[in-house]
Amino acid sequence: MIDSAPPPPPPPPPPPPAESGWLTAADSSDRPSTPGAFAALYRLMLATQVSKARVLSLGAMGLVAVLVGFAIGRADVFDPVRDGTRFINGLGLSVLVPVATLVFASASLGELNEDSTLVYLWLRPVARWKIVGAAALASFTVTWPLVTIPLVIAAALTGAGGSLVVGTVAGVTISMVGYIGLFVALGLRVKRALPWGLLYILIWEGFVANGNATAARLAVRSYGRSTLSAITGVSLRLAEISAPWRWAMPFVVAFVALAYATRRLSRQDVA
Amino acid sequence: MTAVARGWGFDGPEPVWPIEVSGASKWFGDLVAVSDVSFRVGQGVTALLGPNGAGKSTMLRMLCGLTAPARGTVRILGGDPRRDLGLTRRIGLVPQQEVVFESLTAFEFVRLAGVLQGLDDPDAAAVRALGIVEMPVDDARPTSTYSKGMRQRVKVAQAIVHDPDVIVLDEPLTGLDPRQRLHMIHLFQRLGDDGKCVIVSSHVLDEVERFGSRVLVMVQGRLAAEGDFRAIRELMDDRPHRIRIRSDRPRAISSGLLDRGVVMGVQLEGADAAVVETDNVGHFRQAVADVARQVGAHLYEVSPLDDDLESVFRYLVGR
Repeated sequence: MIDSAPPPPPPPPPPPPAESGWLTAADSSDRPSTPGAFAALYRLMLATQVSKARVLSLGAMGLVAVLVGFAIGRADVFDPVRDGTRFINGLGLSVLVPVATLVFASASLGELNEDSTLVYLWLRPVARWKIVGAAALASFTVTWPLVTIPLVIAAALTGAGGSLVVGTVAGVTISMVGYIGLFVALGLRVKRALPWGLLYILIWEGFVANGNATAARLAVRSYGRSTLSAITGVSLRLAEISAPWRWAMPFVVAFVALAYATRRLSRQDVA
Repeated sequence: MTAVARGWGFDGPEPVWPIEVSGASKWFGDLVAVSDVSFRVGQGVTALLGPNGAGKSTMLRMLCGLTAPARGTVRILGGDPRRDLGLTRRIGLVPQQEVVFESLTAFEFVRLAGVLQGLDDPDAAAVRALGIVEMPVDDARPTSTYSKGMRQRVKVAQAIVHDPDVIVLDEPLTGLDPRQRLHMIHLFQRLGDDGKCVIVSSHVLDEVERFGSRVLVMVQGRLAAEGDFRAIRELMDDRPHRIRIRSDRPRAISSGLLDRGVVMGVQLEGADAAVVETDNVGHFRQAVADVARQVGAHLYEVSPLDDDLESVFRYLVGR
């Protein structure tokens, strides 16, 4: 009774006048440039990632690190460089850096994906790598000072001297680069990225990768630890990764993870 | 860039439509959201109707390339919205979800859309778009403080900030007060009159009717009907048309129509009206004046009772 098929085509209209409202067909070679898109995306990602709750909770973790550093400095320890390095490795590189990076980086695209606001970025003529890159850079911008400043203060308070401060900055930065790549991709890949990321940090980085030197090379933490160890001269377990691998590999990890995220963003369904 | 599209859109040997869907299907696991749907939409306003779960939003998402059809093809202005990144410059979408970037003001949100679209002057474009939807440009409040209706208007502004050729609106009237609904309806009509291809999904049938008469009706993932809803009603020949006749002698006219076999049922409504049922409107139209003349009656009004959009929709959805 009701024909759901398209209606028969009507006769062709006359050729379009030069200045009319006729719609021209899409041209796949039409790749409009979007100057300022990366900067705009970066500012947006910063605004969406920074929340009072996140900053306060991670700031509290940083405060704990400062207090412990102060306690080490006040204690009558035999070797402040050794104890300070172990403290930065144990609390900073193993807990504060991965957890803080997970919180911000996984939310950068993950929250937009889950609350469906990603559509407002996706349906624009913007290269997907710019969206992913802006998310990663914004995560780094927020997380780096939030983690590095308290850890540097803590390192200084231990009384270990300049090498521990420099080692802390370098170790945190190296680790964070790798983690940001992983967790930006994780946020896009899975729902509820936070528990998945915590499982990764606890089980893989904290347990499996501690098994032996080969397994340790598969954990981001090992590269930051090796950097810290090399700069302070304090021997740490499973921290024998040599230069240039100890600083290059996290960048490789980040690049591969962000490339995966870009590919996924291009192909995934958007709500 | 030789092919063009307007209305039913042809130029040269190959027809190009603003929207062309061919055999599109989409399923999520065992759930079939859209099943073998084909249609073409030209310039002007087209309403996409259907009950909840009919597949309207999935269809609109496929039109914008947000999800790919599992089978079939979707072409927008002759291109693939899933693959042609440049095509997004010519599509504007008002998605169904209410949420926008909560920390931004309305101006920042719409300006961001302009920047990402690569506009030369995104500030001016944002001011213009917000003006069109009657939102203040200098409101410093973040959108998280906005009412549902205000967010809806901001969503419309970001969809039109780059002056797209194809505008897809998923339930754009939700949350708007009556005055704003009227304003939006006029806006959509104006966009259609300006040569844009506007496709609107909505549940508010009496207002959809004011967009224009062209509808696509989806039921359970399938396209139940398309075209002018009055023409669709004409095709519903398994359901009699109900027509009210107002006259000084409704009983005599009704008897005459019954005698000629033009109507199959009559219901008198007071002294000056009758409602008749016929399965052949064309035949009825030819006969009613003749019968009135024959019985010496004056005809005051002959009006169909069920060729409005709601009746058509109820029939299609409920059958």
